[in-house]
Amino acid sequence: MKLTVKNLVKSYHQRPVLNLASATFGTYSVEGLIGPNGAGKSTLMGLLTRRIGATTGTINFEVSGKNHDLCEKQSFEVAQLGLIKTNQRIQNFESLTIRESLRLAATPAENESLVSWFKKPAADAATSAEDIESRVDHYLDKFTFADPDGYAKSAGEKKLLDILRCLIFKPRMLLMDEPTAGLPEDVTRQVMDEIAEQSRNNKMRIVVVEHDLELIWSVCEYVHFLSDGEMLFQGTPDEVKSNHFVAEKYLGVS
Amino acid sequence: MSYLIFSLSLLLVYVALTQLLHVQFGMLGIPNFGIVGFWGLGMYGVGVFNVQYSVPFLLSLILTGVLITLVAFVLGRLTLRLNGQDMVCATLAFSAITSLLVISEKWLTNGVVGLGTIKYPFDFGKATEFSYMMLLVLVVAGFQYVIQQLHRSDLGRLMFAIRDNEELASSLGKNAYGTKLQLFVVTSVLMGLLGGLSAPLNQFLTPNMLVPGVTFTVWIALILGGKENRLGAMLGVVVTFGLFDILIETYLPVPAEHAMLVPNFKLFLYGAVLIGVLLYRPQGMLAQGASGSDARRVRPL
Repeated sequence: MKLTVKNLVKSYHQRPVLNLASATFGTYSVEGLIGPNGAGKSTLMGLLTRRIGATTGTINFEVSGKNHDLCEKQSFEVAQLGLIKTNQRIQNFESLTIRESLRLAATPAENESLVSWFKKPAADAATSAEDIESRVDHYLDKFTFADPDGYAKSAGEKKLLDILRCLIFKPRMLLMDEPTAGLPEDVTRQVMDEIAEQSRNNKMRIVVVEHDLELIWSVCEYVHFLSDGEMLFQGTPDEVKSNHFVAEKYLGVS
Repeated sequence: MSYLIFSLSLLLVYVALTQLLHVQFGMLGIPNFGIVGFWGLGMYGVGVFNVQYSVPFLLSLILTGVLITLVAFVLGRLTLRLNGQDMVCATLAFSAITSLLVISEKWLTNGVVGLGTIKYPFDFGKATEFSYMMLLVLVVAGFQYVIQQLHRSDLGRLMFAIRDNEELASSLGKNAYGTKLQLFVVTSVLMGLLGGLSAPLNQFLTPNMLVPGVTFTVWIALILGGKENRLGAMLGVVVTFGLFDILIETYLPVPAEHAMLVPNFKLFLYGAVLIGVLLYRPQGMLAQGASGSDARRVRPL
């Protein structure tokens, strides 16, 4: 599984905010994406999931030997291929309870179509209700909410719910945009443990955008450094730490 | 007696329209202000096929349905990606175009002279009107059954999710736009078919039936009754159309010289009640889930 980007440019009013000659994600199970504010990290994540349309360039998603040109797809089709992202800013379905929100994310699209009212989806295509319920219970047992059958109230609960919605979806590749922002430290650790487990068991690939560098150095096997819309350096955490570009632009060491 | 049956039949038509708006707006968040456009197209479609071209009623209804499917599909493609306010304007414009076309295309619709007579599709002698009303009762009951099922289904949950946050739903692999378009076309065509069913009720069609007031009555009823509640549509129509258009206008002994005041007074009261509900009970008389047992509850403010 590989996500390859070539000559990807995003401009607003002729002013380029992102200009990537080439980059590849998904070689390692957990990769980091770091860079100063305004470097274009969130823009890149938006482009990869087609939430934002690219100005020029190609994004290729290779899944088990098959290549998919993501620039031809809408955001829901990208998600159905198994590439999704957690949100930096809080996003929620305000009228769904926590449990229903998770059910929604776990339910495949075939079960929700108008056609499914008249013709039940084929048994192998549809995910059974029991399977969905057991997955929902699994996450609600593991992570604590004040009231799982009520609504997510605090910002922390909404942020955690956002991440769990993505995990229960069983993506092939998960992009995480600042997962620790707004989460208590112990929950962050719990989330990261769960993600490490999933990447081992389900071969899920993860790309994390973070300002918490301790977390980056501890979980990532490979780190991409983005600055002013360009990929300045890529390497293992030790290589990145000792690179003078990164030190000068971001780490604040003279 | 027969006037009461006519009024109640019209009430049932309004209930059904409001049920459809509940699906469009209450569940999916599509602000459709073109209700009278679809309803009017359906009514005049059946009228034109039936009277001008002597097509049997049922076939007229089917042909009209096909026609409105195309109209709803094109309108949906043009407007469903717009934001809420733009969509309101666009659908209002659509219904204005419809009623203007009915006035201007005299060769087809007889313009302001009117089009008639549209007969009932069956003749049971004295029981005809009552039987037709029963047919409308069946339609409303059928819609209610589907709405109940929808609220419990995976599709219903997806609809509420799309209404809350369309972009988030798309990012979880849900075809939000496709779902909206599909359901908008289906419900709009049903609005049109209800117009077709209203044609024999009115028997004689004139363009002044296609006023925005029809759209607004349906909207006021939905907001009053509770836009998210599965029974809100019924209650809303009963306390607006039922109370004012049937009880007060028909049965309240108003002296003849003041009779002209009643319709205006009605609009005034509609407005007053609507403001009161929006101020003190913004979810409508029936808040969501008040009649259901599922986990979806009123969101704390």
